[in-house]
Amino acid sequence: MQHWTIIRSAMLAAALVIGAGQVALAQDTTLQLTVENGQFSPTELKAPANKPLVIVIKNNGAKPIEFESVSLRVEKVIAAKSQGSVRVRALAPGRYEFLDDFNKSTKGTLVVQ
Amino acid sequence: MRDNVRRSAAWATMVAGAMVVLCGATPVRAQGGAPSFYEMETKYIFGFTEGSGIGLEGEKEFSIDTVGRFGKRDGRYAATETKFEFEYTPNQYIQLEFGPLAAGHYIRDVTDLDDRHMFQPSGFFGEIRYLLFDRPASPVAVTVSFEPVYRAFDETGGAPVTNFELETKIMADVELVKNRVYGAVNLIYEPEMTRMPDGSWERESQFGLTGAVSFRVLPDLLIGAEADYYRHYDGTFLNQFTGDALFIGPTLYYKLARKMFMTAAWSVQVWGREIETGQRLNLEEYSRTRAKLKVAVEF
Repeated sequence: MQHWTIIRSAMLAAALVIGAGQVALAQDTTLQLTVENGQFSPTELKAPANKPLVIVIKNNGAKPIEFESVSLRVEKVIAAKSQGSVRVRALAPGRYEFLDDFNKSTKGTLVVQ
Repeated sequence: MRDNVRRSAAWATMVAGAMVVLCGATPVRAQGGAPSFYEMETKYIFGFTEGSGIGLEGEKEFSIDTVGRFGKRDGRYAATETKFEFEYTPNQYIQLEFGPLAAGHYIRDVTDLDDRHMFQPSGFFGEIRYLLFDRPASPVAVTVSFEPVYRAFDETGGAPVTNFELETKIMADVELVKNRVYGAVNLIYEPEMTRMPDGSWERESQFGLTGAVSFRVLPDLLIGAEADYYRHYDGTFLNQFTGDALFIGPTLYYKLARKMFMTAAWSVQVWGREIETGQRLNLEEYSRTRAKLKVAVEF
């Protein structure tokens, strides 16, 4: 009986840890980003501090891209002529770089303030 | 011994000087204005010292990570431990790692150690890393990690034992020059207990303070230097000091492909003490030199 309580508690703790990035869905701020001709548009996104974000990336180009950011801790491959999104944790104010990992000259900045 | 220290210090100074010159001389932008020096993960760019990075959400990695220790007071000594490591970042705060270990020992005529020539599976490890502070919110990024390890063979001598270790580490790093020069410090506390072949339990612990600087001379190439200081104790809670050692050496990180990299480090014990014997250099608990080679593939 006690074993089951421990196992249930451990499973709940694991679910909380793994799901930490999934909470606060209802409060997400959504940002739109487009990729065309090897450029992000806009090249600078703005977002409020301390609120979870969803960045929707629309790839209008003829080649796939990999949206990647070390400081945002996200990556996402988006096929040509399609769109995808990444969810980002609530961020402190600052400048966060992102780029297309398939073509590193395609880059932009998220300004959180 | 003093020549050894002087040679190492001169070597480290030359490497650091060359890196500063190279970093200054390398253009920040490649031809056509394309950005060369983008953000990068810092976890593996400092050799034995670890950076604060925890990877990107959803990222998985497989790596083969070998650490070799070479040279005792006498005889011939070489020991390796290889981690076959699976790494996963389930969210933007945590990274998990686990995998089996393999150990190799080549020992001939070393005092207090049996002659041995073997390579075999030796245990398992797991690790959880939690990001406490990250850039740009904080200029210093800090991660804490807990790494329980089980070994079926003694790390030093290769004798069959039952060994449990918990490596607890705080890793902090800073961008000294944005996307070009990085510094890191690790604070380590590592208690372990070992059931010896005669059935008795032996408890010991280690405290470590390591520091490294890494220069990004090319977008995919970093070269650096590190100094690692370790103190060894009998007892789980740093009870009785038995000796210490200082290692210095160069580090290398190279991105082989978009999702593949290697990191290497080599260091020599330039200073150390064995409290019981009064000997210079601590070759009872540590080796003369260490080397590390890790090759990783992300997917």
